[in-house]
Amino acid sequence: MHGKIMNASFDALVIGGGIAGGEAALNLANNGFKVLIVEKDLSIGGKMILLSKVFPTLDCSACITTPKVSEISRHPGITIFTGSEVKSISRKSETSFEAVVIKTPRYVIGEDCTGCQLCEQACPVLVHDQFQYNLVGRKAAYIPFSIASPRVAAIDIENCTLCGACEKVCPTKCIDFTQEEEEYCIDVKTVIIATGFNLFDPLKIPRYGYGTYKNIITSMQMERQLAPTRPFNTILRPGDGKVPDRIAYVLCTGSRDMTVGNPICSQICCMYSIKQAQLLMGALPMADVTIYYINIRSFGKGFEEFYDQAKGMGVNFVKGKIGKITENENGNLNLRYEDINENVVRESEHDLVVLSVGVLPNTDSKALFHDGDLKLDPFSFVDQADPLASPSKTSIDGVFVAGTATGPMDIPDSILSAGASSAEAISYLNRRL
Amino acid sequence: MAAINPEFGKELKNYGAFDFNACYNCGNCTAVCSLSTEEDSFPREMVRFSVLGLEDDIRSSLKPWLCYYCGECSTHCPQEANPGELMMSLRRWLTTEYDWTKLSGLLYRSLPLTIIGFIIAAIGVLIFSALEKFNLQSIMHKGHIFEIIAIAAVFGFILLPNIIRMWWLIILKPKIKVPVIKYLTGFGDLIVHMFTQKRSLGCDDNQLRWFEHFIIVIGYLGLLFTTVFLDWFSNDSLFVIVLGYAMSIIIFIVTIDFMSDRIKKQKEMSKFSQPSDWMFVVWLFLMGLTAFIVRLFIDTGLIEKNIWLYLFHLTILVQWALIIVPFGKWTHFLYRSFAMYFAKIKS
Repeated sequence: MHGKIMNASFDALVIGGGIAGGEAALNLANNGFKVLIVEKDLSIGGKMILLSKVFPTLDCSACITTPKVSEISRHPGITIFTGSEVKSISRKSETSFEAVVIKTPRYVIGEDCTGCQLCEQACPVLVHDQFQYNLVGRKAAYIPFSIASPRVAAIDIENCTLCGACEKVCPTKCIDFTQEEEEYCIDVKTVIIATGFNLFDPLKIPRYGYGTYKNIITSMQMERQLAPTRPFNTILRPGDGKVPDRIAYVLCTGSRDMTVGNPICSQICCMYSIKQAQLLMGALPMADVTIYYINIRSFGKGFEEFYDQAKGMGVNFVKGKIGKITENENGNLNLRYEDINENVVRESEHDLVVLSVGVLPNTDSKALFHDGDLKLDPFSFVDQADPLASPSKTSIDGVFVAGTATGPMDIPDSILSAGASSAEAISYLNRRL
Repeated sequence: MAAINPEFGKELKNYGAFDFNACYNCGNCTAVCSLSTEEDSFPREMVRFSVLGLEDDIRSSLKPWLCYYCGECSTHCPQEANPGELMMSLRRWLTTEYDWTKLSGLLYRSLPLTIIGFIIAAIGVLIFSALEKFNLQSIMHKGHIFEIIAIAAVFGFILLPNIIRMWWLIILKPKIKVPVIKYLTGFGDLIVHMFTQKRSLGCDDNQLRWFEHFIIVIGYLGLLFTTVFLDWFSNDSLFVIVLGYAMSIIIFIVTIDFMSDRIKKQKEMSKFSQPSDWMFVVWLFLMGLTAFIVRLFIDTGLIEKNIWLYLFHLTILVQWALIIVPFGKWTHFLYRSFAMYFAKIKS
């Protein structure tokens, strides 16, 4: 059921409120343009706000993201729609687009919520916490995560039993079950696509046993265990809560693999795995960490030194892709691989396996445009019409692309790309106005 | 210093190999292979050798024969380099390498030459029958004698020297010291592998494949024994007659299944068929079928009026015995079992 259709107009529409979208929006707003960020999640900050540290400097990821996110939220020139999706964009005139945005109800009046978490305590429903990548549970009335922006509760209506317990305890009476979906018709002059990427789902490789064997996690789940806002305050394997001694990283899970339809390198897995290995050496000084790789691609500034540093710290690097994984009775895992340097097939036992999952395109943006069909590249990332001279341009005039929507890249490159994209958008706006 | 043959990859494509240059050496194929062990890790090493053109290393390797082509490596190859089919191509190539006459190589590489060979064999049978004035009794009698002579000659002059060549390439040339006693103690393995192919049970795919192969070997050897040593077509013993029927039925039923696999192309191992694969399975099928019908016609008294049927059977037999057995896919029966034997005595 739709509520009323509302109209609004902005200079720029930024689709996606991750680090690239946020950076692009800030640049535009600082130049005096009115910007709307549409974010489908309940908080802006994207994937970066959930990370532990960044490579190769080991700076705290949240400590870089949160000030940026606050700046975006407080900026008078930026409007943010969270929990919202762009349904369609069509060209209205030579210089403007019309975007239809759907805002799903949060069932909480954001302006009144103080983030006191009383509703969370009162709510009787427990479900998997998607922001902790299912490592722990959360309530159906919940604050997405502690450093979320906006730090406002939301009701997960799909799991809510409508018991009303949250309503009773809310001190500001901000819970409102009568909220309805809102549809906005928005006039914009330019669009920046910053829809980011999806992580590879390792269920697509059944021989690795993710989802079947208890002590196999994805790199994002390990990232959460290492982050400042981590769920356990230590590293635990999920099967039995044991602190692991022998941790294995399986690189190229879902990257450089035609059998899962993704032949390209994800560009970040080598480095984030090396980063996590170094952090694990700090968190669990007695643990052995082994990284199984095809090639270590440490191509960026400071990356090779970072790789050497990991080797120096005692991280074990083994050249050979993991072929299959089997589980022992005690929950330990046997990894079968060919040691390429020795030409010999081997099996090794580990008590926790981390699958370094790759970067997949977020193909949602393809369906956004009615006319002037948005072109994608052969790997379904947004196609760069002129990658050398004008890397942010897409196949549609006035629509730009930022960050991992164009292809796999790390955080500094995403921010660079967002900078380029906003610069292009600003010159486009200045030329047309 | 290892000699590199830069043309090797091109040569191997004649034997069915695919884009093995796509390999980026991740070792996934070796890791998913259930027959790969610490002592004998394959197929990646063979892919690497093929890419580099290290012919001598492949020639002296038994690894291609240790693979029974379940196809897991090809299914899971992240580069779609098809290591399973490469191993199959290497087996074809090795077959031609062991052959001192070099005729295998010619026939494997050239389908027209193979067809010419088959036509010459057919014409030979016709000329022979004409010389015999199409007298069935005498043709059948001489056909039987031909079988015995052909088997002895093919073994003595072609297959035995080839096995010795294989031995030379694998044991003597790389200067591997093997005590004489090992040759004797390993002999049991040779016989076991020759008649049971038990190693292929280690493949992940299924036991049915092994069973089918096992009974077709029994059927083939059984039919050979019945026709050659018990002289099936001229024997009146009920037991022998029934035995021959049973063996020929086994052959044509199982080969029908093998052919339908190659047509359906669902299993990894039957996706890519070379002419040599087709001829092997089709001729085996025709042998079983024609032998069955010939004996049926003998038993129903129709053979006198249908001498063409026996001539057709004889043609198949001659083509099989003179072309497919010595120079074609049949030889895997020997090379595979001797590979297991050499692997055993080397260790």
